[in-house]
Amino acid sequence: MPSGQTVARPGGRLSAGRRAGRRSRSDRRFFVLAALPAFVVVFLVTIVPLAAAFGLSLTSYTSANPVVKWVGLRNYKLLFSDPNVPTVLIVTASFAVAAVVLEGVVGTVLALLMSRKMRGVSVYRVLYLIPLMVAGIAAAVSWKALLDTSAGWVNSILHVFGIPQANWLASPTLALPSIVIADIWTGAPVVAVLVLAALLGMPEDPLEAARIDGASQLQVVRYIILPAIRPVLGFAVIFRTVDVFRQFGLIQILTGGGPGVKTTTLNYYIYQNVFTYGNVAYGSTLAVLLIVAMAIPLGIIYLLTRRREI
Amino acid sequence: MATYDAVHGRLRSWRRLTASFASHVVLLLFLGFVLLPVIWVALTAFKAPKDAYATPPTITFHPTLLNFHVLFQSQFVADLGHSAILMVLSTAVALLLGVPAGYSLARANFKGKRFMTAWLVIAYVTPVIVFIIPLYVEYLKIGISGSYLALVLAYEIGLLPFTIFMMRSYFADLPVQLEEAALIDGCNRARALRLVVLPVMWPAVVTVGILVAIASWGEYFVALVLTNQSTTTAPVAIYTYVGIESSNWGAMAAGSLLVVLPVLILAVFIQRGLIRGLTSGAVK
Repeated sequence: MPSGQTVARPGGRLSAGRRAGRRSRSDRRFFVLAALPAFVVVFLVTIVPLAAAFGLSLTSYTSANPVVKWVGLRNYKLLFSDPNVPTVLIVTASFAVAAVVLEGVVGTVLALLMSRKMRGVSVYRVLYLIPLMVAGIAAAVSWKALLDTSAGWVNSILHVFGIPQANWLASPTLALPSIVIADIWTGAPVVAVLVLAALLGMPEDPLEAARIDGASQLQVVRYIILPAIRPVLGFAVIFRTVDVFRQFGLIQILTGGGPGVKTTTLNYYIYQNVFTYGNVAYGSTLAVLLIVAMAIPLGIIYLLTRRREI
Repeated sequence: MATYDAVHGRLRSWRRLTASFASHVVLLLFLGFVLLPVIWVALTAFKAPKDAYATPPTITFHPTLLNFHVLFQSQFVADLGHSAILMVLSTAVALLLGVPAGYSLARANFKGKRFMTAWLVIAYVTPVIVFIIPLYVEYLKIGISGSYLALVLAYEIGLLPFTIFMMRSYFADLPVQLEEAALIDGCNRARALRLVVLPVMWPAVVTVGILVAIASWGEYFVALVLTNQSTTTAPVAIYTYVGIESSNWGAMAAGSLLVVLPVLILAVFIQRGLIRGLTSGAVK
């Protein structure tokens, strides 16, 4: 890499100053032109559709009758009379809280263990990356098979340890936990990798100082490590919350939202309404609800974990 | 005193040893959990139907290529091709548009930059179904449903913001002096970017390209609702006709293996980039 310092500066200074005005103008034009095509595409595929989604929620558009007829707030009133909506919201919240909390805790613990200087630890650091690369469909298909009641590996492993076998995906009580477990499979390693990167980048001195002063390992974690990794942990949790709200493949393939609507999250309910039943307008209304439902936890997490100004 | 130190030292090293042992137990347990689906796919792909459904599951079986034969006689090969075409097209578009935009965001200060950055975050964070419903309606209306154009555009909802953010973080790490030297020597921005910046940024561009390609290759939801028969991708095929309908686990595992294996091989080369890909969005 050529070093910037070696280029002749003294002679260039004056002319650089004279040229600066012209340069900054052509610079600005270049920067705008460089960014413009990307932003035109992003606007085209996000801002325009977002406005259109809101517009569609005010119509009676269905796949069977695809005409734009304005009906005002009728679909929004429907939200309140739809008996599935409360259940779907509870399922969404339960899934999000359970998955994100467990992934945050498990991921942080794994990262703390992997940050220890011990033999063979790099093996975990590499192999834990696998779930980050496996296509969601492959993970979903495998978990469906693994959790199968009669031929699934999970039940036969439980059998070996004398634990009673379960009807994972069809049971009203276990179906959602099953999806949470499958989500932890990708989520916990994601958190672990992020937190580990932060831990390995931490300066050693404060840790050493605390240990010399007689702090226990738990105290070191509680008072030095956790505060230091808080911004990263916050980012990881936001990242997982975003992913959990849009989780689709696991739900579709493992349970199809069932039994009943016991595992139907808002995202999946929108999919069913639009692409299975053709209720495009009502689905768009639910999409508006999804945006609102997502903004609340994201806002709270952001406020809780942002770096505190001292 | 010496004996005290010796005893104390031995105690400490013994405690370290048990702590390491306990850590390994926890990490190994989770490793088993991580590898469970991987092992299932790797074994079941080579199982004949009677072995794939054995109750209780069998560990020993005669490996067979039957599942791959079934796949190669179906449209699955064509669908792998559709996936590859979409991967190349969407990665090319993401890099062509995203690299200059990332450079611009890293270096320039222009009006609306904050708004653009905020919007990219919103586009990236919002569940894609919100954008897909109107796109689906619009595509039907203008008659491009199921085309590569329609799919690439929809893929860019996630891929383009990701590319821009990652490239911005790589460009921000590059010392400004590098371009300034070139600018003082009379280059304009475009030339400085092409002759000075991009040559040292190739590894970053390749890494981002691979990450984008992996995301595009594995995409499931957008492809499921927007493809038609002539553009069905491999992940959609695994769900729609390979396995679920016929409950053919062997073929499903074989299909999954064909989708996952190239990615795992590719990922060996970009381990660092993978972690960067996760953290580049983190507020710095």
